[in-house]
Amino acid sequence: MSHELSMPRTPRTNALRLIDHLGPQAQILAIALFFIACCLVFTFMTDVFATTGNVLNLLRQAAPNLIVAIAMTFVITTGGIDLSVGSIVALTNALAAILLQQGLPWPLTILAILLVGGLVGLIQGWFIAYQGIPAFIVTLAGLSILRGVALLMTQGFSIPIASGTGFTALGRGWFLGMPAPAILAILAALAGLITLSRTVYGRHIVAIGANSEAARRTGIPTRRLTASVYVMSGTAAALAGIVIAARLGSGSSNAAVGFELDVIAAVVLGGTALIGGRGTIVGTLLGALTIACIGNGLILIHISPFFTQIVTGAVILIAIWLNTRLFSKLGRRR
Amino acid sequence: MTPFVQARGIGKSFGGLKALDGVDLDIHQGEVLALLGDNGAGKSTFVKILAGAQPQSRGEIRIEGRPVAFASPHDAARAGIATIYQELALSENLNVVENVFLGREVVRRVLGFPWLRRRAMRQRVDTLLRELDAHIPDPLARVGGMSGGQRQAVAIARALDQGGRLVIMDEPTAALAVAETRKVLKLVRQLAARNCAVILISHNIGDVFEVADRMAVFRRGRKIAERQRAATTPDEIVALITGAHPDARTADLAA
Ligand SMILES: Nc1ncnc2c1ncn2[C@@H]1O[C@H](COP(=O)(O)OP(=O)(O)O)[C@@H](O)[C@H]1O
Ligand SMILES: [Mg+2]
Repeated sequence: MSHELSMPRTPRTNALRLIDHLGPQAQILAIALFFIACCLVFTFMTDVFATTGNVLNLLRQAAPNLIVAIAMTFVITTGGIDLSVGSIVALTNALAAILLQQGLPWPLTILAILLVGGLVGLIQGWFIAYQGIPAFIVTLAGLSILRGVALLMTQGFSIPIASGTGFTALGRGWFLGMPAPAILAILAALAGLITLSRTVYGRHIVAIGANSEAARRTGIPTRRLTASVYVMSGTAAALAGIVIAARLGSGSSNAAVGFELDVIAAVVLGGTALIGGRGTIVGTLLGALTIACIGNGLILIHISPFFTQIVTGAVILIAIWLNTRLFSKLGRRR
Repeated sequence: MTPFVQARGIGKSFGGLKALDGVDLDIHQGEVLALLGDNGAGKSTFVKILAGAQPQSRGEIRIEGRPVAFASPHDAARAGIATIYQELALSENLNVVENVFLGREVVRRVLGFPWLRRRAMRQRVDTLLRELDAHIPDPLARVGGMSGGQRQAVAIARALDQGGRLVIMDEPTAALAVAETRKVLKLVRQLAARNCAVILISHNIGDVFEVADRMAVFRRGRKIAERQRAATTPDEIVALITGAHPDARTADLAA
């Protein structure tokens, strides 16, 4: 940094200051425009896309991704990553079905599942924050181990969940004219928005991602806070597991394969910096909706589901490419 | 009046190396004290001990006459000693207000949760920056886009708001352009005018003569001279630093 300081202001550094200033807003604006463009394209190409029924269906389908993406925004803002969320969904999804089958009342089942998700996150967070193992490695191991545990518990079979209980209502029910999962997602987004921008916790999360040494020196408990974001992502993944099990009326260890990629894509598409120190919940919301929109729209225009994956992948690549192009420069200035 | 800080017989050894040896030094409030000396003379080691970043091997530090033992920079900060690190410990992606209050946010408890009182913090920072006459047009702008001098101002505002009564600056202008250096030197005088004590480490004799009230010259871990600015000249200080001065030779022989 000392060299940078003595450097005269060149056009290049001026351009960087402009990016500095416009960066977050410009990215949110870009994703908002892209989202609107997707909506318009599908509205004109199909009769069904812009109907209330389809929009509500889209929200219901987007909910699990959205819930976890909100938590993932916190994780990525600290400069971390959680690759295990898809496997946590599978584990909790299967475990919920098993517990209900064993006759555990559904409110207790939900409580137990959320605790399991939080505990898994705590264990991973401990390895990352207190043992200094990179988040990528810890959660990659988690991805493998937790999926394995889920497979072992179910032996690969899908376990049915009796319908008509409060449990299945979480996935299929309606509330205030909205699907229950969409309500949960909206609540999660509101909580995330307020927490990140209005609370001490949220500001400290940003500070850790921006400059963890500076944060530590001011007395912020950086390790505890770093561990806490994995507890958050684990709990959110457990909630997503519950919602998916409730919607499908079964628990399966094969649920949510590749889910982590959609979640990370939503966060990065929204403009949260992979290097940490900058996160936006509004961006994540738009990112998750865009991904859901592309998936839904391509199905409606009868394009092969395989093509959906290609388009989603391409969008992710371009988004991360732009993100890296813009922010690696800022990163190098540290 | 009792000096704010009294250092008595401070020594520091790194293995066999004596980085500091029997340093006595007083630091008064409202006074800028410059530490001078060749590279490796022990200046940084001395201020790190004052700042609680390292323990001394020998000797005693007294704050307002009372002996203290700092276990961490936090202890020192609580006693009113703030250090502005060479690599400024600021978060680039947070704005000025957030940086000034980082780790000590002003909050209001609602429903048991601490909520940020953003307006109160903003007003406090506006006041601080105005008092320091720091040229920071927008306190809600991110620190990452700011110049070196502006960052120094943010760090100083932070130190002041923490109730810093001794501000330590280890080569604050080493990496700054001329105009920026001027601003930082002005900030240093502002601090002293607010009755803060300031320790300034600098290799630039011109800068030191511009802001310091008193100068202490270190050589090979010892304090070999102490001068009021009015009672010395740049030539004498340079001679003390390089070892050409008779006092420096006497000290070398005694070592
Ligand atoms: N952590 C350390 N371990 C070993 N030696 C050190 C350490 N810190 C400083 N020193 C040595 O102590 C001496 C004084 O260093 P320092 O206080 O940094 O000098 P100055 O700031 O005056 O240039 C030097 O010889 C330096 O190499
Ligand atoms: Mg030094």
